[in-house]
Amino acid sequence: MNMLLLSLILALGIYALLSRDLLHSVIALSAISMLSALLFTILRAPDVAITEAAVGAGVSTVIFVWAIRHTQRRDKEES
Amino acid sequence: MKKLELIKIVITVLLCALLVVPIILSNHSWPTQARDYLFDNARSDTGATNTVSAIYLGYRAMDTLGETLVLLVSVTGTMAILVKLGKEHSDEEATSFSLAPEKRPTNRLRTHLLETVASKLGPIVLLFGFYVMLYGHISPGGGFQGGVIVASAIVFLALGTEVKSKLTNTLVLSRIEALSFLVLILASISGVFFESGFFGNPIKSASSLSANFIILLNIIIGLKVGTSIAVMCIAMMGGSHDH
Repeated sequence: MNMLLLSLILALGIYALLSRDLLHSVIALSAISMLSALLFTILRAPDVAITEAAVGAGVSTVIFVWAIRHTQRRDKEES
Repeated sequence: MKKLELIKIVITVLLCALLVVPIILSNHSWPTQARDYLFDNARSDTGATNTVSAIYLGYRAMDTLGETLVLLVSVTGTMAILVKLGKEHSDEEATSFSLAPEKRPTNRLRTHLLETVASKLGPIVLLFGFYVMLYGHISPGGGFQGGVIVASAIVFLALGTEVKSKLTNTLVLSRIEALSFLVLILASISGVFFESGFFGNPIKSASSLSANFIILLNIIIGLKVGTSIAVMCIAMMGGSHDH
């Protein structure tokens, strides 16, 4: 179970790095936060899990989406 | 060009492996002295069942004061940048989320689904945040966690409802923030006058509930964190000015 969650987190992290659309990256980061909150719960650290779920999936997503709205959302395609 | 990027990726992975592999391979056992001391004494020293709360509001309350200061400074800096931004682009502010529907030029980011879900979910999340905040000495959670949940509930309410309430007014929220920081400093000093030192418990013998000081600090820190993060998020969504 732990290895499955960790490999999902790794895959989502690589996707967030390589994605051309910044909004997709933010959603992937939010999913990483939810998965790591699940992982912290399994590892018996509920305090950290609550913080991770609230800060990572809630507040930081709002801040990132706000930043994207004020900037260019898509990367220019490489020719 | 492609080859250079590949070399960069390989070097990064090798460096990460160099950092992580010794931790995985080592057989050295974890130190146990502090753990055993806390297991034996934390409950009787501070009265909190949750040992994490006992550490960060009992033994290490000084660090919590420092953390609160860091949060205060960062929120102040963000608000300073945002206020300057708002003055330069005052017409752009009309595209914000938290305006009434007829005043919004673009409805693209705020849908009926978002309004319905956020306005129904907001009060429940708010209640859960206060639960996490108030029961931080018994169950997992505490001031910071509860405060962040309260902040996200306030953001939900600001997104979902069109009624301007006191809860989503940044002026009221920032006053609560300033007041709770003042009360936190007063609470930290008050132990000095009752012979228990800086951040000592001044009301230890006054009540039968021995975790009373931790509950008090949890409430103050929760209000501080919740209101400051909510003010920051509401200001970012453009609803900062006096409703």
